[in-house]
Amino acid sequence: MSKVLMKGNEAMALAAIKADCDAFYGYPITPQNELPEYLSKHMSLHGKVFVQAESEVAAINMVYGAAGAGARVLTSSSSPGIALKQEGLSYMAGSELPAVIINVMRGGPGLGGIQPSQADYKQITRGGGNGDYYLYALAPETLQEAVDLIKEAFDIADYFRNPVMIAVDGLIGQMMEPVDLDIETPKWDLEPKTWAADGNLINRKKNIINSLYLDPNDLEKHSFKLKEKYDEMRKNHQRYELINMENAEIVIVAYGSTSRIARSAIEILSEKGIKCGILRPITLFPYPKKAFGELPLTVKNLLVVEMSTGQMLDDVIISNECRLPISFYGRAGGIVPEAEEIVNKVLEIVGGEKHE
Amino acid sequence: MKRITIISGHYGSGKSEISVNLAIQKKIDYLVDLDIINPYFRSRSLDTLLEKNNIHLVESTIKGMLGSDLPYVSGEGVVPFVNPSITAIYDLGGTENGARVLIQFLDRVKDINEIDFLCTVNIFRPETSDATKILQTISMYEAETQLKVTGLINNTNLMNETTEEDMINGEKILIEVSKKLNIPIKYTIIEENNKDYEYDFLGERLVLTRYIAKRWL
Repeated sequence: MSKVLMKGNEAMALAAIKADCDAFYGYPITPQNELPEYLSKHMSLHGKVFVQAESEVAAINMVYGAAGAGARVLTSSSSPGIALKQEGLSYMAGSELPAVIINVMRGGPGLGGIQPSQADYKQITRGGGNGDYYLYALAPETLQEAVDLIKEAFDIADYFRNPVMIAVDGLIGQMMEPVDLDIETPKWDLEPKTWAADGNLINRKKNIINSLYLDPNDLEKHSFKLKEKYDEMRKNHQRYELINMENAEIVIVAYGSTSRIARSAIEILSEKGIKCGILRPITLFPYPKKAFGELPLTVKNLLVVEMSTGQMLDDVIISNECRLPISFYGRAGGIVPEAEEIVNKVLEIVGGEKHE
Repeated sequence: MKRITIISGHYGSGKSEISVNLAIQKKIDYLVDLDIINPYFRSRSLDTLLEKNNIHLVESTIKGMLGSDLPYVSGEGVVPFVNPSITAIYDLGGTENGARVLIQFLDRVKDINEIDFLCTVNIFRPETSDATKILQTISMYEAETQLKVTGLINNTNLMNETTEEDMINGEKILIEVSKKLNIPIKYTIIEENNKDYEYDFLGERLVLTRYIAKRWL
């Protein structure tokens, strides 16, 4: 298939179909509505399941059930809806169930607003629900990358037996870009799901999907077993992109839509003779700490740019290990920073005349 | 150009950018944004630009509540239909729900010949990639609004990756549709960057500035 022009939410929905997603359970919320709308029409055309649940809580528990039965499952929502799903996500991580969750972030806290935001960073990367667990979290910056990562995300979820979150903001959900849905994406080496509660047709020992451990020794053992997975993610599955690093004197750390805007900013800066790079995390968990070790010695400053009041900032502080001074520029509430604002912040740090 | 132009099309076909460009280039009095489908990228986000161009914006958001996400439509949308001295462009939302919004005003139409009801088509949108699908989309719009589509807009594009050949291919598909329905291709949309394309496209050539997308990224 050649390229088509798609809206982010539609493209992400179609990517899930391409990844052989068996079932979608969800509940509407702006700005991700085109995603379930698209699947409501197209899942049945592919012989797959689509259910509009009565609430987000119902939807995530349907995801739990279907994943427990061995299906490839997707749900999607936006910030307040994702907040409602946290209990289910914690249960899924505890029960080691794979699923893909797409979060098209909007402004918060509470009901917030419908405009784009990156203020769910901590909810996404710090577990979100109760207990010792993490979600493998991917943050694409283009529709093509979103499509490719979603296709791979189902494999990643199955591989780790852990929920995978696709973290995009409302802009990625609503914007249009040319995409090719059929680019080959990495295939992970997957074991058959012998753990699934799928009817026991071969009379094996029964499978139980469960996150309850009444013996604390068992629960501790289980917790450390989960930790091994998260350590493996941290060790071998960090993803990031380093952009324009040669002789960079300052590096912007930004992900998703914000890194797109940073790309425009560094073009303007290069016209002014300022060498500015971008460190773009692709995984939010595991955080690409390794990237900070690869920054050239010419870098004298870091600037974190987010559509929040400063959430990823904490991970940059941890990863930087007190080496470089860190500045922050954030817009919140659904306001998207303009390239010029980022340019002026960089100029303020490195010294230079204000950009009009 | 007729006094009233209604721009329809599948969502993501380019209706809002075209509406704004037409309104500015043709010095239209009213731009009526009836999009209750999209939460972002709507012509109403350009209120300042439109005001500067003396275009009166009628929008479907309660003042000061751009993010209200309510399917509210201002009654002011009827004005161009009842006042024959006003020229207007109506920017519909995509999908059948978007089209239905228009119906409430149509019983006030005095002379149907004053209205052009155009369908915007981009063959790179999967839902309108061939003549059959385009005809389905058009019959859906006609069924929902009870209005006959009177012309087509060729908006074939892959954003920055569009080639002249793509646009010629788009025109070929639209010619099939045009012959079937006996309606003309009224406009061919050419992006500013591509304005040196030499091919003699059907309909009026409208050079498009991306106002809405640019505001965001």
